[in-house]
Amino acid sequence: MHKAHKRHIAPRLLLAAFAALLLLPVVMTALYSFFSPEEIRAFMETRGSYNASAFMEIKLAPDMFSLSQYYNILIEDMTILRYFVNSAMYAAAILLLQALVVPMTAYALSRFRFRGRDAIFFVILLLMLLPFQVTMVPNVLTLRALGLIDTVWAIILPMAIAPFYIFLLRQYMIGLPAEMFEAAQIDGAGTGRCFLYVALPVCRPVLGAAAALSFADCWNLVEQPLTYLTTRKELYPLSVVFNQLTQKSTGVEFAGAALYMLPALLIYLFFQSDILEGVQLTELK
Amino acid sequence: MFVKKKSVWLFLLPGLLLLMVFYVVPLVGGVRYSLTDGSYKNVFVGMANYRSLWKNAMFLTGLRNTMELSLICAPLLWVLSFLLASALMAVKPYGGFARSAVLLPYLAPSSAMLLAWLVLFDFGGPVNRLCVALGFSRVMWLESGALRLPIVLMFLWKNLGFCTIIFLSALQTIPHPLYEYATLEGAGFLRQAVTITLPLVTPSAFLVFVLAWINAFKIFKEVYFIAGAYPDESVYTLQNYMNNMFEKLNYQDVTAAAYSFAVIVMAIFAVLFFAQRRAVRDLS
Repeated sequence: MHKAHKRHIAPRLLLAAFAALLLLPVVMTALYSFFSPEEIRAFMETRGSYNASAFMEIKLAPDMFSLSQYYNILIEDMTILRYFVNSAMYAAAILLLQALVVPMTAYALSRFRFRGRDAIFFVILLLMLLPFQVTMVPNVLTLRALGLIDTVWAIILPMAIAPFYIFLLRQYMIGLPAEMFEAAQIDGAGTGRCFLYVALPVCRPVLGAAAALSFADCWNLVEQPLTYLTTRKELYPLSVVFNQLTQKSTGVEFAGAALYMLPALLIYLFFQSDILEGVQLTELK
Repeated sequence: MFVKKKSVWLFLLPGLLLLMVFYVVPLVGGVRYSLTDGSYKNVFVGMANYRSLWKNAMFLTGLRNTMELSLICAPLLWVLSFLLASALMAVKPYGGFARSAVLLPYLAPSSAMLLAWLVLFDFGGPVNRLCVALGFSRVMWLESGALRLPIVLMFLWKNLGFCTIIFLSALQTIPHPLYEYATLEGAGFLRQAVTITLPLVTPSAFLVFVLAWINAFKIFKEVYFIAGAYPDESVYTLQNYMNNMFEKLNYQDVTAAAYSFAVIVMAIFAVLFFAQRRAVRDLS
Protein backbone atom coordinates (compact mmCIF):
# COMPACT_ATOMS: atom_id res chain seq x y z
CA MET A 1 0.00 0.00 0.00
CA HIS A 2 2.64 2.41 1.13
CA LYS A 3 4.82 1.36 -1.75
CA ALA A 4 2.05 1.80 -4.32
CA HIS A 5 1.62 5.34 -3.10
CA LYS A 6 5.23 6.16 -3.67
CA ARG A 7 5.40 4.78 -7.20
CA HIS A 8 5.62 7.12 -10.18
CA ILE A 9 6.42 10.14 -8.07
CA ALA A 10 8.60 11.72 -10.75
CA PRO A 11 6.22 11.30 -13.71
CA ARG A 12 3.32 12.45 -11.56
CA LEU A 13 5.13 15.60 -10.54
CA LEU A 14 6.11 16.22 -14.14
CA LEU A 15 2.53 15.74 -15.32
CA ALA A 16 1.21 18.06 -12.63
CA ALA A 17 3.73 20.74 -13.59
CA PHE A 18 2.78 20.40 -17.24
CA ALA A 19 -0.90 20.60 -16.36
CA ALA A 20 -0.30 23.76 -14.35
CA LEU A 21 1.50 25.26 -17.33
CA LEU A 22 -1.47 24.49 -19.58
CA LEU A 23 -3.84 26.12 -17.12
CA LEU A 24 -1.69 29.23 -16.78
CA PRO A 25 -3.43 31.37 -19.45
CA VAL A 26 -6.87 30.43 -18.10
CA VAL A 27 -5.93 31.28 -14.53
CA MET A 28 -4.23 34.47 -15.65
CA THR A 29 -7.31 35.66 -17.52
CA ALA A 30 -9.56 34.88 -14.57
CA LEU A 31 -7.21 36.61 -12.12
CA TYR A 32 -6.83 39.78 -14.19
CA SER A 33 -10.58 40.10 -14.53
CA PHE A 34 -10.70 41.09 -10.85
CA PHE A 35 -8.31 44.00 -11.25
CA SER A 36 -9.76 47.48 -11.48
CA PRO A 37 -10.07 48.84 -15.04
CA GLU A 38 -7.60 51.65 -14.27
CA GLU A 39 -4.97 49.20 -13.13
CA ILE A 40 -5.47 47.01 -16.22
CA ARG A 41 -5.33 49.99 -18.53
CA ALA A 42 -2.08 51.15 -16.97
CA PHE A 43 -0.72 47.61 -17.08
CA MET A 44 -1.67 47.00 -20.71
CA GLU A 45 -0.12 50.31 -21.72
CA THR A 46 3.27 49.04 -20.65
CA ARG A 47 3.01 46.47 -23.44
CA GLY A 48 4.81 46.95 -26.72
CA SER A 49 7.71 48.91 -25.29
CA TYR A 50 11.03 47.88 -26.75
CA ASN A 51 13.06 49.30 -23.91
CA ALA A 52 15.59 46.54 -23.31
CA SER A 53 16.33 47.61 -19.74
CA ALA A 54 12.77 47.35 -18.40
CA PHE A 55 10.29 44.51 -18.02
CA MET A 56 6.55 44.54 -17.64
CA GLU A 57 5.50 44.01 -14.09
CA ILE A 58 4.38 40.53 -13.16
CA LYS A 59 1.17 41.09 -11.31
CA LEU A 60 0.10 38.29 -9.05
CA ALA A 61 -2.57 40.14 -7.11
CA PRO A 62 -4.62 43.27 -7.74
CA ASP A 63 -3.92 46.49 -5.81
CA MET A 64 -7.51 46.24 -4.80
CA PHE A 65 -9.87 43.38 -5.57
CA SER A 66 -12.59 44.83 -7.75
CA LEU A 67 -15.65 43.75 -9.68
CA SER A 68 -15.86 46.99 -11.62
CA GLN A 69 -14.72 45.34 -14.87
CA TYR A 70 -17.74 43.08 -14.68
CA TYR A 71 -19.98 45.92 -13.60
CA ASN A 72 -18.74 47.88 -16.57
CA ILE A 73 -19.40 45.26 -19.28
CA LEU A 74 -22.62 43.92 -17.82
CA ILE A 75 -24.35 47.16 -16.90
CA GLU A 76 -22.62 50.33 -18.06
CA ASP A 77 -21.47 49.59 -21.59
CA MET A 78 -23.18 46.71 -23.29
CA THR A 79 -20.95 46.47 -26.40
CA ILE A 80 -19.16 43.32 -25.29
CA LEU A 81 -22.39 41.84 -24.00
CA ARG A 82 -24.03 42.35 -27.37
CA TYR A 83 -21.32 40.37 -29.12
CA PHE A 84 -21.59 37.75 -26.41
CA VAL A 85 -25.30 37.41 -27.18
CA ASN A 86 -24.45 37.00 -30.88
CA SER A 87 -22.10 34.16 -29.99
CA ALA A 88 -24.76 32.49 -27.86
CA MET A 89 -27.28 32.83 -30.68
CA TYR A 90 -24.95 31.17 -33.20
CA ALA A 91 -24.02 28.37 -30.82
CA ALA A 92 -27.64 27.67 -29.92
CA ALA A 93 -28.89 27.68 -33.51
CA ILE A 94 -26.06 25.53 -34.83
CA LEU A 95 -26.32 23.00 -32.02
CA LEU A 96 -30.07 22.75 -32.42
CA LEU A 97 -29.82 22.04 -36.14
CA GLN A 98 -26.97 19.60 -35.61
CA ALA A 99 -29.04 17.78 -33.00
CA LEU A 100 -31.71 17.28 -35.65
CA VAL A 101 -29.43 16.33 -38.51
CA VAL A 102 -26.35 14.58 -37.15
CA PRO A 103 -27.79 11.66 -35.10
CA MET A 104 -30.31 10.74 -37.80
CA THR A 105 -27.65 10.70 -40.50
CA ALA A 106 -25.31 8.65 -38.34
CA TYR A 107 -28.12 6.21 -37.55
CA ALA A 108 -28.97 5.76 -41.23
CA LEU A 109 -25.32 5.20 -42.10
CA SER A 110 -24.68 2.69 -39.35
CA ARG A 111 -27.79 0.57 -38.78
CA PHE A 112 -29.18 0.27 -42.31
CA ARG A 113 -28.01 -1.53 -45.37
CA PHE A 114 -28.99 0.21 -48.56
CA ARG A 115 -27.59 1.07 -51.93
CA GLY A 116 -25.35 4.09 -51.94
CA ARG A 117 -24.53 3.95 -48.22
CA ASP A 118 -20.82 3.57 -48.74
CA ALA A 119 -20.80 6.34 -51.32
CA ILE A 120 -22.51 8.76 -48.91
CA PHE A 121 -20.14 7.81 -46.12
CA PHE A 122 -17.18 8.29 -48.42
CA VAL A 123 -18.35 11.81 -49.29
CA ILE A 124 -18.70 12.61 -45.58
CA LEU A 125 -15.19 11.32 -44.87
CA LEU A 126 -13.87 13.37 -47.76
CA LEU A 127 -15.53 16.51 -46.41
CA MET A 128 -14.11 15.77 -43.00
CA LEU A 129 -10.62 15.68 -44.45
CA LEU A 130 -10.93 18.85 -46.49
CA PRO A 131 -9.86 22.00 -44.66
CA PHE A 132 -12.06 25.07 -44.40
CA GLN A 133 -10.15 26.89 -47.16
CA VAL A 134 -11.59 24.32 -49.56
CA THR A 135 -15.09 23.77 -48.21
CA MET A 136 -15.78 27.48 -47.87
CA VAL A 137 -15.85 27.78 -51.65
CA PRO A 138 -18.91 25.57 -52.28
CA ASN A 139 -20.55 27.15 -49.24
CA VAL A 140 -20.02 30.63 -50.61
CA LEU A 141 -21.36 29.71 -54.03
CA THR A 142 -24.59 28.36 -52.55
CA LEU A 143 -24.95 31.17 -50.03
CA ARG A 144 -24.54 33.71 -52.80
CA ALA A 145 -27.06 31.95 -55.01
CA LEU A 146 -29.55 31.94 -52.13
CA GLY A 147 -28.77 35.56 -51.21
CA LEU A 148 -27.71 34.63 -47.69
CA ILE A 149 -24.28 36.29 -47.58
CA ASP A 150 -24.15 38.90 -44.82
CA THR A 151 -26.98 37.28 -42.88
CA VAL A 152 -26.75 35.04 -39.83
CA TRP A 153 -27.87 32.07 -41.93
CA ALA A 154 -24.57 32.14 -43.81
CA ILE A 155 -22.90 30.98 -40.62
CA ILE A 156 -25.59 28.69 -39.29
CA LEU A 157 -26.76 26.64 -42.26
CA PRO A 158 -23.45 25.26 -43.62
CA MET A 159 -22.47 24.22 -40.10
CA ALA A 160 -25.69 22.29 -39.54
CA ILE A 161 -24.09 19.32 -41.23
CA ALA A 162 -20.94 18.45 -39.34
CA PRO A 163 -19.01 15.62 -41.06
CA PHE A 164 -16.73 14.96 -38.10
CA TYR A 165 -19.56 14.47 -35.63
CA ILE A 166 -21.46 12.25 -38.06
CA PHE A 167 -18.30 10.17 -38.29
CA LEU A 168 -17.89 10.09 -34.50
CA LEU A 169 -21.49 9.00 -33.91
CA ARG A 170 -21.49 6.49 -36.72
CA GLN A 171 -18.36 4.79 -35.38
CA TYR A 172 -20.06 4.46 -32.01
CA MET A 173 -23.40 3.25 -33.37
CA ILE A 174 -21.81 0.67 -35.64
CA GLY A 175 -20.37 -1.01 -32.56
CA LEU A 176 -23.73 -1.45 -30.85
CA PRO A 177 -24.84 -5.10 -30.58
CA ALA A 178 -27.44 -6.17 -33.16
CA GLU A 179 -29.41 -8.11 -30.51
CA MET A 180 -30.48 -4.86 -28.91
CA PHE A 181 -32.27 -3.77 -32.05
CA GLU A 182 -33.61 -7.25 -32.78
CA ALA A 183 -35.16 -7.44 -29.32
CA ALA A 184 -36.85 -4.10 -29.86
CA GLN A 185 -38.13 -5.22 -33.26
CA ILE A 186 -39.62 -8.39 -31.76
CA ASP A 187 -41.47 -6.14 -29.34
CA GLY A 188 -42.94 -4.40 -32.35
CA ALA A 189 -40.73 -1.34 -32.62
CA GLY A 190 -40.12 0.08 -36.09
CA THR A 191 -37.00 1.88 -37.26
CA GLY A 192 -38.22 5.16 -35.75
CA ARG A 193 -38.85 3.72 -32.31
CA CYS A 194 -35.55 1.87 -32.45
CA PHE A 195 -33.87 5.20 -33.09
CA LEU A 196 -35.63 7.08 -30.33
CA TYR A 197 -35.78 4.44 -27.62
CA VAL A 198 -32.77 2.22 -28.32
CA ALA A 199 -30.07 4.02 -30.28
CA LEU A 200 -30.28 7.49 -28.72
CA PRO A 201 -30.33 6.45 -25.04
CA VAL A 202 -27.45 4.02 -25.55
CA CYS A 203 -25.42 6.69 -27.34
CA ARG A 204 -25.73 9.17 -24.49
CA PRO A 205 -21.97 9.50 -23.83
CA VAL A 206 -21.05 10.06 -27.45
CA LEU A 207 -23.96 12.45 -27.93
CA GLY A 208 -22.76 14.41 -24.92
CA ALA A 209 -19.20 14.39 -26.23
CA ALA A 210 -20.28 15.53 -29.70
CA ALA A 211 -22.46 18.29 -28.25
CA ALA A 212 -19.67 19.57 -26.02
CA LEU A 213 -17.00 19.46 -28.74
CA SER A 214 -19.33 21.05 -31.25
CA PHE A 215 -20.14 23.78 -28.77
CA ALA A 216 -16.42 24.44 -28.47
CA ASP A 217 -16.23 24.89 -32.27
CA CYS A 218 -19.20 27.26 -32.31
CA TRP A 219 -17.84 29.26 -29.41
CA ASN A 220 -14.58 29.85 -31.21
CA LEU A 221 -15.90 30.81 -34.66
CA VAL A 222 -13.48 32.93 -36.63
CA GLU A 223 -13.20 31.96 -40.28
CA GLN A 224 -16.91 31.90 -41.09
CA PRO A 225 -17.87 35.34 -39.71
CA LEU A 226 -14.76 36.91 -41.21
CA THR A 227 -15.58 35.63 -44.69
CA TYR A 228 -19.38 35.64 -44.71
CA LEU A 229 -20.16 38.80 -42.74
CA THR A 230 -17.77 41.28 -44.32
CA THR A 231 -20.20 44.21 -44.29
CA ARG A 232 -22.25 43.33 -41.21
CA LYS A 233 -19.75 43.62 -38.39
CA GLU A 234 -22.50 44.10 -35.82
CA LEU A 235 -23.38 40.43 -36.35
CA TYR A 236 -19.91 39.23 -35.38
CA PRO A 237 -19.61 36.78 -32.50
CA LEU A 238 -17.40 37.86 -29.61
CA SER A 239 -14.62 35.44 -30.64
CA VAL A 240 -13.81 37.57 -33.70
CA VAL A 241 -13.91 40.86 -31.86
CA PHE A 242 -11.34 40.16 -29.14
CA ASN A 243 -8.42 41.20 -31.19
CA GLN A 244 -9.98 44.57 -31.99
CA LEU A 245 -10.69 45.03 -28.28
CA THR A 246 -7.02 44.68 -27.50
CA GLN A 247 -5.81 47.29 -29.96
CA LYS A 248 -6.51 49.95 -27.36
CA SER A 249 -7.09 48.81 -23.83
CA THR A 250 -10.39 49.82 -22.30
CA GLY A 251 -9.48 48.13 -19.05
CA VAL A 252 -12.40 45.72 -19.18
CA GLU A 253 -11.15 43.21 -21.74
CA PHE A 254 -10.10 40.60 -19.18
CA ALA A 255 -13.58 40.46 -17.68
CA GLY A 256 -14.93 40.02 -21.21
CA ALA A 257 -12.54 37.16 -21.82
CA ALA A 258 -13.30 35.57 -18.46
CA LEU A 259 -17.02 35.86 -19.10
CA TYR A 260 -16.53 34.27 -22.50
CA MET A 261 -14.60 31.37 -20.96
CA LEU A 262 -17.22 30.68 -18.34
CA PRO A 263 -19.86 28.83 -20.43
CA ALA A 264 -17.13 26.75 -22.06
CA LEU A 265 -15.73 25.78 -18.67
CA LEU A 266 -19.15 24.87 -17.32
CA ILE A 267 -19.86 22.73 -20.36
CA TYR A 268 -16.49 21.08 -19.94
CA LEU A 269 -17.15 20.23 -16.30
CA PHE A 270 -20.56 18.89 -17.13
CA PHE A 271 -19.53 16.76 -20.13
CA GLN A 272 -15.98 15.79 -19.18
CA SER A 273 -16.76 12.15 -18.44
CA ASP A 274 -18.86 11.88 -21.61
CA ILE A 275 -15.95 13.11 -23.70
CA LEU A 276 -13.54 10.64 -22.14
CA GLU A 277 -16.01 7.82 -22.60
CA GLY A 278 -17.58 8.81 -25.91
CA VAL A 279 -14.55 9.60 -28.04
CA GLN A 280 -13.59 6.01 -28.76
CA LEU A 281 -12.14 6.46 -32.19
CA THR A 282 -9.69 3.86 -33.26
CA GLU A 283 -9.49 3.98 -37.00
CA LEU A 284 -10.61 5.68 -40.15
CA LYS A 285 -12.92 3.10 -41.67
CA MET B 1 -28.77 -4.09 -39.52
CA PHE B 2 -32.03 -3.04 -41.16
CA VAL B 3 -32.28 -4.26 -44.71
CA LYS B 4 -34.69 -3.00 -47.36
CA LYS B 5 -36.33 -0.41 -45.17
CA LYS B 6 -37.62 2.56 -47.11
CA SER B 7 -37.65 4.61 -43.90
CA VAL B 8 -33.87 5.00 -44.15
CA TRP B 9 -34.41 7.82 -46.61
CA LEU B 10 -36.47 9.66 -44.02
CA PHE B 11 -33.52 9.59 -41.63
CA LEU B 12 -31.15 10.60 -44.39
CA LEU B 13 -33.27 13.36 -45.87
CA PRO B 14 -32.19 16.41 -43.83
CA GLY B 15 -28.51 15.48 -43.85
CA LEU B 16 -28.45 14.55 -47.48
CA LEU B 17 -30.27 17.72 -48.46
CA LEU B 18 -27.78 19.96 -46.64
CA LEU B 19 -24.88 17.92 -47.95
CA MET B 20 -26.07 18.28 -51.52
CA VAL B 21 -27.03 21.96 -51.35
CA PHE B 22 -24.02 23.29 -49.48
CA TYR B 23 -21.25 20.93 -50.49
CA VAL B 24 -21.60 18.42 -53.28
CA VAL B 25 -23.51 20.36 -55.93
CA PRO B 26 -21.55 23.64 -55.61
CA LEU B 27 -18.27 21.74 -55.32
CA VAL B 28 -18.93 20.20 -58.72
CA GLY B 29 -20.62 23.30 -60.14
CA GLY B 30 -17.78 25.53 -58.97
CA VAL B 31 -15.35 23.91 -61.38
CA ARG B 32 -16.94 26.13 -64.04
CA TYR B 33 -15.68 29.27 -62.26
CA SER B 34 -12.14 28.02 -62.17
CA LEU B 35 -12.18 27.37 -65.92
CA THR B 36 -13.71 30.66 -67.12
CA ASP B 37 -12.37 34.18 -67.15
CA GLY B 38 -15.03 35.89 -65.03
CA SER B 39 -15.94 38.54 -67.58
CA TYR B 40 -19.62 39.00 -68.41
CA LYS B 41 -19.25 36.71 -71.41
CA ASN B 42 -17.63 34.07 -69.22
CA VAL B 43 -15.26 32.78 -71.84
CA PHE B 44 -13.87 29.30 -71.32
CA VAL B 45 -10.15 29.64 -70.69
CA GLY B 46 -9.12 26.10 -69.78
CA MET B 47 -6.32 25.87 -67.26
CA ALA B 48 -5.25 29.51 -67.57
CA ASN B 49 -6.56 30.43 -64.09
CA TYR B 50 -4.57 27.61 -62.55
CA ARG B 51 -1.44 28.56 -64.47
CA SER B 52 -1.59 32.19 -63.34
CA LEU B 53 -2.47 31.12 -59.79
CA TRP B 54 0.61 28.94 -59.53
CA LYS B 55 2.72 31.93 -60.54
CA ASN B 56 1.02 34.24 -58.04
CA ALA B 57 3.49 35.16 -55.30
CA MET B 58 0.88 35.66 -52.58
CA PHE B 59 -0.77 32.31 -53.26
CA LEU B 60 2.57 30.56 -53.17
CA THR B 61 3.54 32.30 -49.94
CA GLY B 62 0.24 31.33 -48.37
CA LEU B 63 0.53 27.75 -49.54
CA ARG B 64 4.12 27.44 -48.36
CA ASN B 65 3.36 28.91 -44.94
CA THR B 66 0.30 26.71 -44.48
CA MET B 67 2.35 23.65 -45.39
CA GLU B 68 5.28 24.65 -43.19
CA LEU B 69 3.13 25.50 -40.19
CA SER B 70 1.18 22.27 -40.51
CA LEU B 71 4.40 20.29 -40.86
CA ILE B 72 5.66 21.88 -37.65
CA CYS B 73 2.39 21.46 -35.76
CA ALA B 74 1.13 18.02 -36.77
CA PRO B 75 4.22 15.93 -35.89
CA LEU B 76 4.73 17.88 -32.65
CA LEU B 77 1.12 17.34 -31.71
CA TRP B 78 1.37 13.67 -32.56
CA VAL B 79 4.49 12.95 -30.56
CA LEU B 80 3.50 15.08 -27.58
CA SER B 81 0.04 13.57 -27.33
CA PHE B 82 1.44 10.05 -27.52
CA LEU B 83 3.96 10.77 -24.77
CA LEU B 84 1.30 12.40 -22.67
CA ALA B 85 -1.14 9.53 -23.14
CA SER B 86 1.56 7.00 -22.25
CA ALA B 87 2.50 8.98 -19.15
CA LEU B 88 -1.15 9.24 -18.10
CA MET B 89 -1.54 5.49 -18.63
CA ALA B 90 1.58 4.78 -16.58
CA VAL B 91 0.53 6.74 -13.51
CA LYS B 92 -2.99 5.35 -13.41
CA PRO B 93 -5.08 5.49 -11.21
CA TYR B 94 -3.54 8.89 -10.45
CA GLY B 95 -3.24 11.74 -12.89
CA GLY B 96 -6.92 12.70 -12.98
CA PHE B 97 -6.05 16.35 -12.51
CA ALA B 98 -3.52 16.29 -15.34
CA ARG B 99 -6.02 14.57 -17.64
CA SER B 100 -8.65 17.20 -16.94
CA ALA B 101 -6.17 20.02 -17.38
CA VAL B 102 -4.93 18.66 -20.70
CA LEU B 103 -8.40 18.40 -22.20
CA LEU B 104 -9.67 21.73 -20.89
CA PRO B 105 -8.03 23.94 -23.55
CA TYR B 106 -9.87 22.07 -26.29
CA LEU B 107 -13.13 23.35 -24.87
CA ALA B 108 -11.88 26.79 -23.81
CA PRO B 109 -12.18 29.44 -26.54
CA SER B 110 -8.69 30.37 -27.67
CA SER B 111 -10.06 33.78 -28.69
CA ALA B 112 -10.39 34.64 -25.01
CA MET B 113 -6.83 33.47 -24.37
CA LEU B 114 -5.44 36.02 -26.77
CA LEU B 115 -4.97 38.59 -23.97
CA ALA B 116 -2.91 36.22 -21.87
CA TRP B 117 -0.80 35.38 -24.92
CA LEU B 118 -0.15 39.03 -25.73
CA VAL B 119 1.01 39.68 -22.18
CA LEU B 120 3.12 36.50 -21.93
CA PHE B 121 4.92 37.09 -25.21
CA ASP B 122 5.37 40.83 -24.94
CA PHE B 123 8.90 42.16 -25.34
CA GLY B 124 8.94 42.89 -21.62
CA GLY B 125 6.74 39.93 -20.73
CA PRO B 126 7.28 36.79 -18.66
CA VAL B 127 8.55 34.64 -21.55
CA ASN B 128 11.33 37.09 -22.24
CA ARG B 129 12.11 37.29 -18.53
CA LEU B 130 12.59 33.54 -18.67
CA CYS B 131 14.82 33.89 -21.74
CA VAL B 132 17.00 36.43 -19.96
CA ALA B 133 17.10 34.32 -16.79
CA LEU B 134 18.30 31.38 -18.88
CA GLY B 135 21.03 33.52 -20.36
CA PHE B 136 19.55 34.20 -23.79
CA SER B 137 18.77 37.59 -25.21
CA ARG B 138 15.24 38.87 -25.56
CA VAL B 139 13.21 38.08 -28.66
CA MET B 140 10.50 40.18 -30.28
CA TRP B 141 7.92 37.40 -30.27
CA LEU B 142 5.12 39.47 -31.74
CA GLU B 143 7.05 40.70 -34.77
CA SER B 144 8.00 39.07 -38.07
CA GLY B 145 9.53 35.58 -38.10
CA ALA B 146 9.37 34.94 -34.37
CA LEU B 147 5.57 35.21 -34.57
CA ARG B 148 5.47 31.58 -35.51
CA LEU B 149 6.36 30.42 -32.02
CA PRO B 150 3.42 31.95 -30.12
CA ILE B 151 1.11 30.88 -32.95
CA VAL B 152 2.33 27.28 -32.91
CA LEU B 153 2.20 27.18 -29.12
CA MET B 154 -1.37 28.44 -29.09
CA PHE B 155 -2.31 25.78 -31.62
CA LEU B 156 -0.63 23.04 -29.58
CA TRP B 157 -2.17 24.32 -26.38
CA LYS B 158 -5.61 24.09 -27.93
CA ASN B 159 -5.35 20.76 -29.73
CA LEU B 160 -3.16 18.65 -27.49
CA GLY B 161 -5.97 17.37 -25.29
CA PHE B 162 -8.12 15.93 -28.03
CA CYS B 163 -5.29 13.92 -29.59
CA THR B 164 -4.25 12.73 -26.15
CA ILE B 165 -7.65 11.27 -25.35
CA ILE B 166 -7.81 9.41 -28.64
CA PHE B 167 -4.44 7.83 -27.84
CA LEU B 168 -5.58 7.21 -24.31
CA SER B 169 -8.69 5.35 -25.42
CA ALA B 170 -6.57 3.25 -27.80
CA LEU B 171 -4.06 2.38 -25.08
CA GLN B 172 -6.88 1.43 -22.74
CA THR B 173 -8.29 -1.11 -25.19
CA ILE B 174 -5.09 -3.17 -25.07
CA PRO B 175 -5.92 -5.98 -22.65
CA HIS B 176 -3.57 -5.97 -19.69
CA PRO B 177 -3.17 -9.81 -19.54
CA LEU B 178 -1.39 -9.57 -22.87
CA TYR B 179 1.50 -7.81 -21.13
CA GLU B 180 1.45 -10.18 -18.18
CA TYR B 181 1.60 -13.14 -20.54
CA ALA B 182 4.46 -11.57 -22.46
CA THR B 183 6.34 -10.94 -19.21
CA LEU B 184 5.89 -14.60 -18.26
CA GLU B 185 7.23 -15.61 -21.64
CA GLY B 186 10.27 -13.51 -20.93
CA ALA B 187 9.68 -10.55 -23.24
CA GLY B 188 11.31 -7.37 -21.98
CA PHE B 189 9.87 -3.88 -21.97
CA LEU B 190 11.17 -2.99 -25.41
CA ARG B 191 10.02 -6.25 -26.92
CA GLN B 192 6.56 -5.70 -25.48
CA ALA B 193 6.41 -2.17 -26.81
CA VAL B 194 7.31 -3.34 -30.32
CA THR B 195 5.24 -6.53 -30.49
CA ILE B 196 2.16 -5.58 -28.47
CA THR B 197 1.72 -1.82 -28.13
CA LEU B 198 2.91 -0.74 -31.55
CA PRO B 199 0.76 -2.99 -33.79
CA LEU B 200 -2.33 -2.43 -31.67
CA VAL B 201 -1.87 1.32 -31.60
CA THR B 202 -0.96 1.82 -35.26
CA PRO B 203 -4.55 2.39 -36.55
CA SER B 204 -5.22 4.97 -33.84
CA ALA B 205 -1.84 6.55 -34.34
CA PHE B 206 -2.70 6.95 -37.99
CA LEU B 207 -6.08 8.44 -37.12
CA VAL B 208 -4.52 10.90 -34.69
CA PHE B 209 -1.92 11.90 -37.25
CA VAL B 210 -4.59 12.52 -39.87
CA LEU B 211 -6.79 14.48 -37.45
CA ALA B 212 -3.79 16.47 -36.24
CA TRP B 213 -2.83 17.29 -39.78
CA ILE B 214 -6.37 18.23 -40.81
CA ASN B 215 -6.50 20.63 -37.90
CA ALA B 216 -3.07 21.97 -38.67
CA PHE B 217 -4.09 22.78 -42.25
CA LYS B 218 -6.80 24.95 -40.80
CA ILE B 219 -4.30 27.00 -38.81
CA PHE B 220 -5.60 30.51 -39.23
CA LYS B 221 -7.49 31.38 -36.05
CA GLU B 222 -4.26 31.59 -34.13
CA VAL B 223 -2.71 33.72 -36.86
CA TYR B 224 -5.70 36.03 -36.85
CA PHE B 225 -5.71 36.34 -33.06
CA ILE B 226 -2.04 37.06 -32.64
CA ALA B 227 -1.04 38.71 -35.89
CA GLY B 228 -4.32 40.28 -37.05
CA ALA B 229 -6.17 40.17 -40.35
CA TYR B 230 -3.17 41.38 -42.35
CA PRO B 231 -0.28 39.45 -40.84
CA ASP B 232 3.43 39.48 -41.48
CA GLU B 233 4.55 37.57 -44.55
CA SER B 234 6.10 34.79 -42.45
CA VAL B 235 2.66 33.74 -41.16
CA TYR B 236 0.50 34.70 -44.14
CA THR B 237 -1.58 31.55 -44.65
CA LEU B 238 -3.67 30.22 -47.48
CA GLN B 239 -6.79 31.32 -45.62
CA ASN B 240 -5.54 34.92 -45.68
CA TYR B 241 -5.12 34.67 -49.42
CA MET B 242 -8.60 33.21 -49.83
CA ASN B 243 -10.11 35.97 -47.70
CA ASN B 244 -8.37 38.66 -49.73
CA MET B 245 -9.51 37.19 -53.04
CA PHE B 246 -12.98 36.68 -51.67
CA GLU B 247 -13.22 40.33 -50.64
CA LYS B 248 -12.24 41.30 -54.17
CA LEU B 249 -14.97 38.93 -55.45
CA ASN B 250 -12.33 37.15 -57.45
CA TYR B 251 -14.11 33.81 -57.72
CA GLN B 252 -11.77 32.52 -60.41
CA ASP B 253 -8.74 32.58 -58.15
CA VAL B 254 -10.68 31.46 -55.07
CA THR B 255 -12.03 28.37 -56.78
CA ALA B 256 -8.76 27.56 -58.53
CA ALA B 257 -6.89 27.87 -55.22
CA ALA B 258 -9.46 25.72 -53.41
CA TYR B 259 -9.34 22.93 -55.99
CA SER B 260 -5.55 23.01 -56.14
CA PHE B 261 -5.34 22.73 -52.38
CA ALA B 262 -7.99 19.98 -52.29
CA VAL B 263 -5.93 17.91 -54.70
CA ILE B 264 -2.81 18.39 -52.59
CA VAL B 265 -4.60 17.45 -49.38
CA MET B 266 -6.22 14.38 -50.93
CA ALA B 267 -2.91 13.24 -52.37
CA ILE B 268 -1.25 13.54 -48.96
CA PHE B 269 -3.98 11.56 -47.25
CA ALA B 270 -3.98 8.88 -49.95
CA VAL B 271 -0.24 8.38 -49.43
CA LEU B 272 -0.69 8.28 -45.66
CA PHE B 273 -3.53 5.81 -45.98
CA PHE B 274 -1.54 3.35 -48.07
CA ALA B 275 1.48 3.76 -45.80
CA GLN B 276 -0.69 2.88 -42.83
CA ARG B 277 -2.10 -0.22 -44.54
CA ARG B 278 1.40 -1.45 -45.23
CA ALA B 279 2.53 -0.68 -41.71
CA VAL B 280 -0.37 -2.65 -40.21
CA ARG B 281 0.30 -5.59 -42.52
CA ASP B 282 4.03 -5.62 -41.82
CA LEU B 283 3.57 -5.45 -38.07
CA SER B 284 0.98 -8.20 -37.83
